[in-house]
Amino acid sequence: MTRNARALAFAMTLACLAIAATGLQMARDRAYAPGPTDNQLLYVSSGRMIEKIALSYDAILADAYWIRALQHYGREHLKTEGVKTYDLLYPLLDLTTTLDPQFVIAYRFGAPFLAESRPNGAGRSDLAIALLKKGIGRTPDKWDYYHDIGFIYYWHLHDYRQAAEWFKRGGDRPGAPWWLKTYAAVMLARGGDRQASRFMWQQLTQSESAWLRETSHRRLTQLDALDQIDELQRVSEGFTARAGRNARSWNELVTAGLLRGVPLDPTGTPYLLDAATGDVGLGRGSSLSPLPTEPAAAPEMAASAPPPVLR
Amino acid sequence: MSAIRHIAVNVFRESVRDKVPYNLVLFALMLMGVSYLLGQLSAGQEIKIIKDLGLAAMSLFGSFIAVFIGIGLVSKEVERRSIYALLAKPISRRQLVMGKYLGLVLTLLVNIAVMTVAFYTVLGVMAWMDGSWFRPHWGASALDPALLKAIAMIGLQLMIVTAVALLFSTFSSPMLAAGLTFGLYIIGHFNADLKNFEAVVDSRPIAYLARAMYYLLPNLAPLDVKAQVVHGVHVPAGLLLFNTAYALVYIAALLVVATFIFARRDFK
Amino acid sequence: MLAIETDSLSKSFAVGFWRPRSYRALEGLTLAVEQGETFGFLGPNGAGKTTTLKLLMQLIYPTSGRAEVLGRPVGDVGVKRRIGYLPESPYFYDYLTAEELLSYFASLFGYAAADRRRRVSALLDEVGIAAERRLPLRKFSKGMLQRVGIAQAILNDPDVVFLDEPMSGLDPLGRREVRNLILRLRDRGCTVFFSSHVLADAEALCSRVAILAQGKLVATGRMSEIHAFQVRGWDLVVGGLSPDTLHKHAGRITKVARVAENQYALELPLNPTPDLLLTDLMTEGAYLISLNPLRETLEDYFVAQVQKQRPR
Repeated sequence: MTRNARALAFAMTLACLAIAATGLQMARDRAYAPGPTDNQLLYVSSGRMIEKIALSYDAILADAYWIRALQHYGREHLKTEGVKTYDLLYPLLDLTTTLDPQFVIAYRFGAPFLAESRPNGAGRSDLAIALLKKGIGRTPDKWDYYHDIGFIYYWHLHDYRQAAEWFKRGGDRPGAPWWLKTYAAVMLARGGDRQASRFMWQQLTQSESAWLRETSHRRLTQLDALDQIDELQRVSEGFTARAGRNARSWNELVTAGLLRGVPLDPTGTPYLLDAATGDVGLGRGSSLSPLPTEPAAAPEMAASAPPPVLR
Repeated sequence: MSAIRHIAVNVFRESVRDKVPYNLVLFALMLMGVSYLLGQLSAGQEIKIIKDLGLAAMSLFGSFIAVFIGIGLVSKEVERRSIYALLAKPISRRQLVMGKYLGLVLTLLVNIAVMTVAFYTVLGVMAWMDGSWFRPHWGASALDPALLKAIAMIGLQLMIVTAVALLFSTFSSPMLAAGLTFGLYIIGHFNADLKNFEAVVDSRPIAYLARAMYYLLPNLAPLDVKAQVVHGVHVPAGLLLFNTAYALVYIAALLVVATFIFARRDFK
Repeated sequence: MLAIETDSLSKSFAVGFWRPRSYRALEGLTLAVEQGETFGFLGPNGAGKTTTLKLLMQLIYPTSGRAEVLGRPVGDVGVKRRIGYLPESPYFYDYLTAEELLSYFASLFGYAAADRRRRVSALLDEVGIAAERRLPLRKFSKGMLQRVGIAQAILNDPDVVFLDEPMSGLDPLGRREVRNLILRLRDRGCTVFFSSHVLADAEALCSRVAILAQGKLVATGRMSEIHAFQVRGWDLVVGGLSPDTLHKHAGRITKVARVAENQYALELPLNPTPDLLLTDLMTEGAYLISLNPLRETLEDYFVAQVQKQRPR
């Protein structure tokens, strides 16, 4: 064979083999989930140990672990059987932030995953706060971390004193926005307040995290639903007061002229009227379910009855 | 073809007499012994630790052997010029590359076999002293034959690494070849991450590039079934078959390139 | 059919990493070696001798030109069955014994096991390392390695043998043995092509020589035909010579060097023949120690060639 013919034969052989290898990998990945079992995702479970091993490649390794944290969240979230535990989320985020303490996104996007209640998150506010505190330890002047901690205390843990404390400290940081101190004041004055919640979630719709944006929009919609439920509850109670008994269905209220039609929640699912108790709630199968447990008003200010605790 | 066989046998003979592989195998055996001691310290998890450590030792030391012998047998030979006399004999350069590779694989397989025997021995002793071959919290029995699946996959990994070492040896110095091979070995284990870049990266061209690299670089991570086997998770035969086919095709590609380079180069 | 034939064979290497320059190691070599010849390929270090040999063994590829051995292009596997090669300063496998190495190489020729054993034994005897057959090669001295090298080069009773600096690193005894071996090969009808930078080697063995300098062929032919190698004088060493006798004949002597008490090395001109002076000295009590023709050394010759070619 001449030199050129041989080169051509070589190139073609190589191309065929490359295609075969690629095809095999694709087929294998499709048939069997790629990636090792979760335990292996960590390799090393101690942050300090991995710092030593990483030599000078901390940042790249941090990226790798961040990607794995995202993958882990994604896989757990899409699981159809078994309990979604998000077990490895905190260790992975911890590793990421140990390797790269300046990895802001890991703190700010990771903490909400941890704090968010099940099944959309790990439901571990304590871990989320720990992570954010770690961030503060490395960069004490980043007001965002304080804000995030305050928010967790407010929304997930209903601890208004702590929330106020953190909002205030955040507000003291250089470059902090004006409304942080306002939050603190509102916390101390009124405790749980739907307006305050709405405002905070509004702020979060501007987040860089797509996930947070979506969650914020969802929360706002849920708050809207809560408003509507409050309104409908008043209508129902009005009927009960006048008729001496609970309305049996929406149609009764419509006939009574109190409503224009069967009320729908923002997603278009009809609300549910419980004939026995006269309580209004989300329709079965509404995608807004479960509605959040709202922060109650601060105990000192609970002169009036607390707003109804809804499902 | 008998020329290939003779070259392979000679490679095997040389590596058997070379001190380095001996030391490495000895090391691996010692590690297994140590793992036995470690197991004693860790209430209830002895078998798991021995299995983990044993498989890891086989994988790690196997890689060292693969790299050092692989490099030694071409790169060093070219550097020391012992290859001149060989090339003057009535064999083609292609036969030489194939013969060298097969000899290396033979060496590897023998080493792995030795380590496997030691491995099962330690496990057997452990279980015997413990008084039972299986406890529920182990996940799998002490002498679980499924371990052989993990070992077989390790063998495939090492065959790929050897082929890589051989490829780099055909055109670079021993040092450089060793460095490049280890580099690819490490990349090969993190290769799976490349595939998921698309989810995190915004630019399409980079995502395609990452995907292409995932397919073209040696993907060693799926060949790693150690964790599953130790925990008693079933490893489907289909996965093993795919892995074997992939490994063989990839090795063939590497050898084709190695042969091509080797056939064209000048031996200065 | 010629044993070896080259036609404008050239080889350039790229030297330097960032802006590679081309280094011409061999330029336009055209040679023809008949079968049965003992051909000396001479030149100073760096002339391109080893490059030529490597090209003939297809260890490297030519930049241009072509080369053939026994009528086939170099590298032909069939031809490799009939040739042998001794590389310069050979190095083999540390962990094999001499016997194992030769057996291994023999197996590559396709000899059956019994045949292999026979050949290997005979070879070990012939090159004189039968006693060390079981010794691992890493324990061999340079001279012994050279002998192993020669053994593996003639393993297959080749028709053409290529030897690159076969005498290098050998003590006088070793050199003599190699010389005798080459003569034996010649007697068997083998074509011997060897390279050297020592003129004396060529003198004793070669029917024809080629001289290479800086990659170019500068002369080829019989030793006696090459002008530069003609005798230009004599080197006479005598003992028992008194200073007075020396003075008496000073006119016939070009140069004098005192070796020891009454012992002198005399350089004489080409003509008249030295036997006349020698007879005279001997009648006055001197005795002959040695008489050698003086030729230009290869190095002198090459220096002259280089100066002739300057400026380039």
